[in-house]
Amino acid sequence: MARSSSKDAQDLFRALWSAYSATPTNLKIIDLYVLFAISTALIQVAYMALVGSFPFNSFLSGVLSCVGTAVLAVCLRIQVNKENKEFKDLAPERAFADFVLCNLVLHLVIMNFLG
Amino acid sequence: MSKLFFFIFFSLVPLLCNSFSPEKPSDRRVLVLLDDFAVKSSHSLFFNSLKSRGFDLHFHLADDPKIALQRYGQYLFDALILFSPTIERFGGSVDAAAILDFVDSGHDLIVAVDTNASDLIREIATDCGVDFDEDPAAMVVDHSGYAVSATEGDHTLIASDDFIKSDVILGSKKIEAPVLFQGIGHSLSPSKNMVLKILSASPSAFSTKRNSKLTSPPSLTGSSISLVSVIQANNNARILISGSLSMFSNRFFRSGVQKAGSPTKHDKSGNEQFLTELCKWVFHERGHLKAENVQHHKVGEANTPAMYRINDTLEYSVEIFEWSGTTWEPYVADDVQVQFFMMSPYVLKTLSTDGKGNYFTSFKVPDVYGVFQFKVEYNKLGYTSLSLSKQIPVRPFRHNEYERFIPAAYPYYGAAFSMMAGFFVFTTIHLYHK
Repeated sequence: MARSSSKDAQDLFRALWSAYSATPTNLKIIDLYVLFAISTALIQVAYMALVGSFPFNSFLSGVLSCVGTAVLAVCLRIQVNKENKEFKDLAPERAFADFVLCNLVLHLVIMNFLG
Repeated sequence: MSKLFFFIFFSLVPLLCNSFSPEKPSDRRVLVLLDDFAVKSSHSLFFNSLKSRGFDLHFHLADDPKIALQRYGQYLFDALILFSPTIERFGGSVDAAAILDFVDSGHDLIVAVDTNASDLIREIATDCGVDFDEDPAAMVVDHSGYAVSATEGDHTLIASDDFIKSDVILGSKKIEAPVLFQGIGHSLSPSKNMVLKILSASPSAFSTKRNSKLTSPPSLTGSSISLVSVIQANNNARILISGSLSMFSNRFFRSGVQKAGSPTKHDKSGNEQFLTELCKWVFHERGHLKAENVQHHKVGEANTPAMYRINDTLEYSVEIFEWSGTTWEPYVADDVQVQFFMMSPYVLKTLSTDGKGNYFTSFKVPDVYGVFQFKVEYNKLGYTSLSLSKQIPVRPFRHNEYERFIPAAYPYYGAAFSMMAGFFVFTTIHLYHK
């Protein structure tokens, strides 16, 4: 039973991976970027748990810059996905311009709060 | 003629002004109200000791229609001695309310009563927080703590040595001989917590009618009976209430005393020392404090700032003096505390003293901003209460006062900058990837 369930899981992941392989490359790049941001955030949380929360504003701005980046990237991914019918009228250039503007505001705030 | 009159009047003004003032808190002018001028000579030792310390005594009969405590809103006296236990109605404008107003405005009062104390005197005592035995003929009787006497056998002449333990009220010299007391006992109202029992009766004492059989339990018994009490009001007015007028008399001052059951016979009773020291306290010759010259500043600076920043270290100092009757002497104690107060004390520190009246300490402002107060609330048995407060705001760090480039925060800085670099790299790839 246990063997068959682990085999099922393997099958499941293989199926997932083959389905994901069909994703366009530009979306894969965004996924990689999101992954990078989230892992940086997790590293900071682990570091804070280790050394304590002393410059708490710095910690918050560090983590929030990662989270903000990830959220904005996800938004971009939703808008440039061609299969997403909801945004089919929105030009990908326009979506990218929004993404750049939001990132500029985010990093301005982060720099101000970093201390 | 009128010019001469004015000249004399104005040359007398400085003399008239020599009365109670914050700079010289001892009383000067004392009104003494008597039932009978015979008291003036029978209690002359007591009065002479007051006169020799510079008091200006004005004797009047209590029903003299010309007596007045104040004229044109100014009090004519600094203190009042009521040696008139049987008076039913004072003469002139004086009544119980006027006497309480006199105390409420910070003046001192001595009341001595005897058996058959009048309702008027009882009313004054009750308003001060002291309840005399309601039976007008009652006396304090003590069958084990009486004074041995050849003439009196009913044990109403009590030799008591149960004093309050306070050097400031009774003087630093120990009172060796017991104090003779003959009169009425009182109890302290539990609701008035400013009353202090100075001389209490022994556990075997009780209050009863003279020469009568006890049919019901006496209303006042044991050491809950107070023989002599004092009150210090919130405005530092002091009141002495004694259940015995004769304890002030020359006869009791001079009389020898031997307490029943004690082999030692003292040549002189403790009355003179006890009452002299007690009157020094009541008339503010002792135990009167003043605080001045409150200063605070940051460590290493001399100027007092208009506000502090959180986590500043500051120094606080105050000078406290005690009035010795003639001069202000440095007050030395190790229990004066300052509070740094906002709704509740954030800092409570005991002040150190240099023995010259200067009290100082230093502490760190808490990590909380708001409007604080420096508070010194000093209430010590027998001393006038000190209550100082000074308001001071505490502000948070300014934007440019925060610490920067903290080593522990370098990973966070790195993360923020790597996000920017990541953004740049991602943008490039996203745009040029086709």
